[in-house]
Amino acid sequence: MPERDRERGERRGKGEGRGFRRRGMGRRKVCRFCADRSLLIDYKDSRVLGTFLSERGKIIPSRITGNCARHQRQLTLAIKRARTVALLPFTAAYP
Amino acid sequence: MADRRYETLVLLHPDLGEPGAKELAERVKKLIEDQGATVAQVQEWGLRELAYLIGKQRRAFYVLFEYRSTSKALLEIERNLKLMDRVLRFVSVRQAENAPPAPQRPAARRPEREEPEFEGAAEFEGLNEEGS
Repeated sequence: MPERDRERGERRGKGEGRGFRRRGMGRRKVCRFCADRSLLIDYKDSRVLGTFLSERGKIIPSRITGNCARHQRQLTLAIKRARTVALLPFTAAYP
Repeated sequence: MADRRYETLVLLHPDLGEPGAKELAERVKKLIEDQGATVAQVQEWGLRELAYLIGKQRRAFYVLFEYRSTSKALLEIERNLKLMDRVLRFVSVRQAENAPPAPQRPAARRPEREEPEFEGAAEFEGLNEEGS
């Protein structure tokens, strides 16, 4: 899917400032799980789930990832399950 | 009583070693079957790095069991797992009837930490660290 590849590679430089509200411009975020039906949310798949964690190991809110509410709920549950079996960290790895 | 699809991911103590882990996995399988469940699949992921320490261990043997059982039997299975001191931890999840069987998974090390690929993710981090 060339469309997706392009989106992934893109990185935004502007609009990073605090208190700056982007309005009207910017790419619309699409829920990754809606866009790609074959991508299933599974607590055993730490690779996919890991991309939805911040560096501190916190779950990134859907307002940033663009996930739809339904998939965000499923994702949250999956991440929490993965945490109980140490596939994902609760917090940033200690040295 | 209706039986349902479940899967249980079990973490075994690393000191068991490869043969010991296999043996214990076999014991757990027997335990599940003794409760009247039918085991569909057993997957051994091998020794994996833990995301955090459990019982002072940095790694564990992961074994995944897929089976059908009644909810009562599941409770009994879980009770028995809790009694096994070589079982570091486990999680049981009910699977949808039409869910595909878990694909074989290589005994992968923990994947490299990927950078959050969402714009503004860093910003989110920043906002939260401010108070600390």
